[in-house]
Amino acid sequence: MTVSTTGTAPETMTGATAEAAGAAASQHGIIGRPVARIDGPLKTTGTAEYAGDFHLPWMAFAVPVQATVGKGTIRSLDVTAAEAVPGVLAVLHRGNMERLYRAVPNDPNATVSETRPAFEDDRIYYWGQYVALVVAESLEQATAAAAVVKAEYAAETPEVSRELEPFAGKWNTVSTRGTVDAAFAAAAVKVDQTYGTPAETHNPIELHATVAVWDGDRVTFYESTQGVVNHRNAMAQILGVPRENVTVVTKFLGSGFGGKLFPWPHCALAAVASRKLQRPVKLVVTRTMMFSNVGHRPVTEQRFRIGASADGKLVALRQDALNHTSLVDSFDEGCGEATGYLYSVPNLTVASALVGRNVGSPMAMRGPGAVPGLFAMESAMDELAVALKMDPVELRLKNDATVDESNGRKFSSRHLRECLETGSAKFGWKQRTPQVGSMRRDGKVLGWGMAAASWGAYRFACATTVDLNADGKARVRCATQDVGTGLYTIFAQVLAEKTGLPFERIEVLLGDSSMPEGPLSGGSWSTATVLPAVAEAADGAIASLLSIAASTPGTPLAGADAKTLRMTEGRVHRATESAGLPSAGVPFEAVLQAARLNGVSADGRSGSVFEDPKARDLSMHSFGAQFAEVEWEPEIARLRVSRVVTVIDAGRIINPRAGANQIRGAVVMGVGMALLEETVYDRRNGQPINGNLADYLMATSADAPEIDVTFLDYPDFALNSYGARGIGEIGLAGVAPAIASAVYHATGVRVRKLPIRIEDLMQA
Amino acid sequence: MQSFSFSKAQTVDEATGLGGRYIGGGTTLVDLMKLDVETPKTLVDVTGLPLAAVEKLPDGGLRIGALVRNSDLAFDPTVKAEYAVLSEALLSGASAQLRNMATTGGNLLQRTRCPYFRDTSYTNCNKRNPGSGCAAMDGHNRMMAILGTSEDCIATHPSDMAVAMTALEATVHVQGAKGKREIAIGEFYKLPGTTPNVENALEPGELITHVTLPTPRRGSKQVYLKLRDRASYEFALASAAVVAETSGGHVRYVRVALGGVGTRPWRAHEAEAALVGKPATAEHFRAAAEAALKGAKPQTENGFKVELAKRCMTRALTMATA
Amino acid sequence: MTEETVLREDQQEIELEPVGAVKAEGQSVRVTRRTFLSGLGATGLMVTAPLAASASATTANGAAAATAGKTHVVLKVNGEEHDLGMLDSRATLLDTLRERLYLTGTKKGCDHGQCGACTVHVDGRRVNSCLTLAAMAAGKDVTTIEGLGIPTRMHPMQAAFVEHDAYQCGYCTSGQIMSAVALMKEPIGESDGEIKEAMAGNICRCGAYPNILAAVKQVRGQMKNS
Repeated sequence: MTVSTTGTAPETMTGATAEAAGAAASQHGIIGRPVARIDGPLKTTGTAEYAGDFHLPWMAFAVPVQATVGKGTIRSLDVTAAEAVPGVLAVLHRGNMERLYRAVPNDPNATVSETRPAFEDDRIYYWGQYVALVVAESLEQATAAAAVVKAEYAAETPEVSRELEPFAGKWNTVSTRGTVDAAFAAAAVKVDQTYGTPAETHNPIELHATVAVWDGDRVTFYESTQGVVNHRNAMAQILGVPRENVTVVTKFLGSGFGGKLFPWPHCALAAVASRKLQRPVKLVVTRTMMFSNVGHRPVTEQRFRIGASADGKLVALRQDALNHTSLVDSFDEGCGEATGYLYSVPNLTVASALVGRNVGSPMAMRGPGAVPGLFAMESAMDELAVALKMDPVELRLKNDATVDESNGRKFSSRHLRECLETGSAKFGWKQRTPQVGSMRRDGKVLGWGMAAASWGAYRFACATTVDLNADGKARVRCATQDVGTGLYTIFAQVLAEKTGLPFERIEVLLGDSSMPEGPLSGGSWSTATVLPAVAEAADGAIASLLSIAASTPGTPLAGADAKTLRMTEGRVHRATESAGLPSAGVPFEAVLQAARLNGVSADGRSGSVFEDPKARDLSMHSFGAQFAEVEWEPEIARLRVSRVVTVIDAGRIINPRAGANQIRGAVVMGVGMALLEETVYDRRNGQPINGNLADYLMATSADAPEIDVTFLDYPDFALNSYGARGIGEIGLAGVAPAIASAVYHATGVRVRKLPIRIEDLMQA
Repeated sequence: MQSFSFSKAQTVDEATGLGGRYIGGGTTLVDLMKLDVETPKTLVDVTGLPLAAVEKLPDGGLRIGALVRNSDLAFDPTVKAEYAVLSEALLSGASAQLRNMATTGGNLLQRTRCPYFRDTSYTNCNKRNPGSGCAAMDGHNRMMAILGTSEDCIATHPSDMAVAMTALEATVHVQGAKGKREIAIGEFYKLPGTTPNVENALEPGELITHVTLPTPRRGSKQVYLKLRDRASYEFALASAAVVAETSGGHVRYVRVALGGVGTRPWRAHEAEAALVGKPATAEHFRAAAEAALKGAKPQTENGFKVELAKRCMTRALTMATA
Repeated sequence: MTEETVLREDQQEIELEPVGAVKAEGQSVRVTRRTFLSGLGATGLMVTAPLAASASATTANGAAAATAGKTHVVLKVNGEEHDLGMLDSRATLLDTLRERLYLTGTKKGCDHGQCGACTVHVDGRRVNSCLTLAAMAAGKDVTTIEGLGIPTRMHPMQAAFVEHDAYQCGYCTSGQIMSAVALMKEPIGESDGEIKEAMAGNICRCGAYPNILAAVKQVRGQMKNS
């Protein structure tokens, strides 16, 4: 039933894939095969072009100036020294810049990350806020000039504390059933603890970059965005130009993890500077700005109350989750994402509230809500297992849910139990002795911990166009973008499956807002969203081709009933002829040439899952289990994660090679989340004081544990005909609590506030 | 980065005569110039000077040219064999790329990672603006020093190499307008006191030409142990360089230096005194560590460094005497 | 810099005016209007003529003539000399490669030697080009990712990275590969731990480390067997 992968052993898929065959015939078997990603040769040779790689003639360079206070008012701005720097073309600020509009609130097709455009007023809401923009002939000149812009502020003390309690504001009930407080009060065994996760910075290695260029009243953005269509729509509103006049191009994205979902203020600044100077302008934010101006996962503080019967059956579960937000936007992390449905419990309440802070606006970061929420819930579950003297895997199994108890819906496909059992077996969990510090290897104390994981499954609207061309190539176009995980290859796999053409004869064109509108890259929904649309477009183009073949004089297929024709391995032939034989039929391009056509095209569309009658009454989620081993050397207070076993139930995996890579990468990020990452704000001025990659620590290759990834292979046909859900987020969910539980097992120290630091463990 | 004029020197005399800031690997200087912490008007590229050799000295010691790159020094056969603590310290620092760039002389002059020193928007930094105050004291101070601090500065010295050289009792050789002189490494680094802007014994215009190490002590064992949050590519929270010789289960000779905890590479004289002649046991190592950290002055967030440094030193001593 | 001179339909030829560099005759770049991707791949923007038309004014070390704030710099990149004229002395090797020579395969991730995305080889050794002044790289052999191989003729390390899916977004990949290639000549040990430590100066936020390790090990194995 399952196939596992450790390291980069060749991945294959077996078992339930067979179930899929009926629904989506994969005669070439390329769906589900671990093929190399088609963009590899570009990415490994430095040929792939990211936003900041674009050069245009007469391009100027823009560098923003950041506020050095976290709250207050700009008293004066002296730009004379900056303007005097050789090569400076303009210094833009509130006093001299043309107006920027706001994007329409709550327009789902034109979302912005920070509602307030740059320079809108004289207030400073957070440290690092842009107060001016220098544009110069060279990057060196612009950087030097930005450093000599003198701003004076009426500074106030910002509020940036990581402590969110005491909170006296209004709570919002997210989910509720039964009578949780009474049930908790009466429970035989209880856990009542508060858990915290820090501000984390997305920190893709690609810096946010905008190259803006105007041609008359039309503007093109070479942009680092996870959504070219949304970016176009938002920029049109902010710049006050028709949507048709804006084009957004993102050929390659140096990953985003959510931080590049929607435009940030610098994007419009680049466009305004470009319009003013009538020159292309490149603006690449600095790594320092990445910590203050382009989002972060907000601080969360979550009180969990879990009550159980003496034999470990949950009776009450209450989550009260706070997260911080900026003073200009209300960002709800949604920590209750997975709480309502993960376990069976009759009495449950999830409540949340926001706490304002003088920080830049938070933004969804990989697994928003679920990842910090599951850190808290799965840590609490581990504490409950300790209190019950029960094995933590057993506790989860005992409380597995059969329906989504938050809404009474059936799960489209839920195999959490098998994730737990498979993970337990692969990890060797049965050998675990529960006493703290009881396991040793090579003189080091071992800690073993585990956690369950979950993430929602979604599909949104998508349009694509497939062309079959007389040059012998098939092409697919879609205004979505590959954030780096393999979407180009997913498109190519579907087209290869449908046409039988090798990758060399398939072109995938993404990342241009003028193409048919595709989805934002977020929430692990890209693959599930695009698959049906590409399949439909390919089927349509092939149907058109076959019809032309049947009606075009001069081909061996002329006069045939189009229904009896097929396209296999790039050839059009009669169904009665053996597919794949060189003698069977004709190459498809010969049909087009005979018909004197450049090509045939067809559009394909898929709709949102929320409007799909087949899907909307189901609860759709991916599931997983994380098992972690830590090595602890108390004599030198050294803790390292040595091994992680991950089992993922995410429907059918279209490309197990890229998929396993993504899960491994998420586990590595989880190691960082557990042990290393925290954006620290200086309480005096609100500056992210560790805002660089030497002080904000992310896992290096030396921190990466041995990682064993297993995909369960249960296609979820309620979501799409391929049965694929998505894997972008779920690999991170559950890693931190598994590690935190392992740390407890090794050291006896329960760390409820991430990251787990050396100083937390010194008491052990 | 502010504008500067650039020139390249071919000889030491030419370099010292040009009157500018010397640049070797650039890993500290270019970094700080980008932050406008360093704003030299003139930059003198000294990488063309003939100072890139590692040579055995007739007396058995070692001469290390100021331009020997960290990676070359770490992998030098003599250093690996006879000064293992130095090789280990070098390889624990930074990344392979930075070690390929950083020079011996430059690394000795590496400047603190204090975030308040590195950000010129904080006008209150006694190191940058003498007399202006210290933003770190009341700020995020987890990484700050606990030894050798003063009312005016708590910035940690970031080097690993210099810690090993301190345990090895290296000598720094410099040349300037007044000629050549040599400075024991213990005298080279200055405590911040009331003048944290004065970090070392160099006179204006003086250039480090080379470092010498004394003959390795026969029968001694050397260890460099570095503790940090991340497994690699991070500055030390605490590190210990130990050179020790034992016989008959007793410590006959020991040199201990600590990194990551001091305002300069921290020679633990008290620990050495507490150890010599004593049995090489865990109790004595721990007692020595207690002695070394006796004067520690932690800040609000770095109290753990006191105990961490003790554990680090105790383990390094254990390893060096095993 | 490129093998073909015929423009595709989706490309246009435009005049190139490099900032801060002497304009060489006949320079042009090709700009792709659309995202284009195929199995073999295509580049969107390439310099179609060498940027350095003349290297007549070079001095012995390539960087001796200095005036206020500027230095005459000739860089040798991937075997080709580029006369950058009187270059802003502040220009780093990274920004010079990217913004003046249009060799954008080398990436900027932190600009402070803290991530490794900008790794190139100078005289065969890997360094952070963000902390290297261009003027100090003059007269030396600089190799960038573009100098290792091209999509149709990849270096064995590039091919191994493709085979092992040793990247996700690809942004840190140039630096990873430059580090991995340099590592082959460094005196480090055989174990996985030693390779991981040697590669620790290249941060991959996508976390492709296990696959990078596999790629590096494969090429190391091939070199030993050959």
